[in-house]
Amino acid sequence: MKFISNINPANAAEMFVFFVLATATVGGALFTVTRRNPVTAVMSLVATFFALAGIYASLSAHFLAILQILVYAGAIMVLFIFVVMILNREEISPVSFRGIITRVIGVLAGGYVAWVAAWAVLYERHSSPVLAAPKVPLPPNYGTVSTVGLSLFKDFVFPFEAISLLLLVAIVGGIIVSRSAKQEEQAEETIRKLREIRERSSEAPESPEHAPAHH
Amino acid sequence: MPTYYYLLLSLVLFLIGTAGVLLRRNALIVLMAIELQLNAGNLAMLAFARALNDTKGHVFAFFVIALAAAEAAVGLAILVGIFRTRQTVNLDEITLMKR
Repeated sequence: MKFISNINPANAAEMFVFFVLATATVGGALFTVTRRNPVTAVMSLVATFFALAGIYASLSAHFLAILQILVYAGAIMVLFIFVVMILNREEISPVSFRGIITRVIGVLAGGYVAWVAAWAVLYERHSSPVLAAPKVPLPPNYGTVSTVGLSLFKDFVFPFEAISLLLLVAIVGGIIVSRSAKQEEQAEETIRKLREIRERSSEAPESPEHAPAHH
Repeated sequence: MPTYYYLLLSLVLFLIGTAGVLLRRNALIVLMAIELQLNAGNLAMLAFARALNDTKGHVFAFFVIALAAAEAAVGLAILVGIFRTRQTVNLDEITLMKR
């Protein structure tokens, strides 16, 4: 264990926290991907996201850590749990053996890409200044809500507005895609009624109950 | 903490997510594995943001989180729609586009 002997004792606590959180993250992710029951998978994914939020906080990304817990562990996972409750089907066998050759080729290709990426990171880890620990201490307001918010509204205003549009489209699309045939008929019925009302009011704009009351 | 520790963790997370996408047949688990992949990307972005002493990576991670929320909403809605018409979420049985 060469890397432990030349470690700074001030960094030992940080390293300990990192390894605990990293173990929780990887273990939770493995549990998510291997479980047969979707409810167990969702719960371990929530645990993974909490551990990841801790790692974000150790990277001084405080705002993103809170956002991770609020949005991922809060909102998105609640959505997942709702859908699991609606579908509630357990698989007969979790891993498919149909099309096994394509899958083996896919896994081999993925493994090769991962091997190249890991090799690149490990090969450059002492020569590249980006991959080592940062030499300059971070400013005290790094990663806070005000810093990220200023960057968001000064440099990234248009992407921010685009993402709000995207969320609106996602809401409308989600509602339209997931509604049943009965709800669709009801919606068409409502649209038909509204169109009738509009046509009637445009045909007779000077009818007595719609007339302005100034005379 | 050196940055490459975070990068290796991000790589492992992305690999687990990819294995989930490629090997699982339950569409719900595949969506969860996609969330894992997005989080691995976020982790790499935050690690590089700290290494370069720059806040732009945080803004990008913010966008990725919003994108993941939209993706989960639409993806789960599609799943519910498929389940209504075909009574399955097994990806091997959803082969309508093949015929």
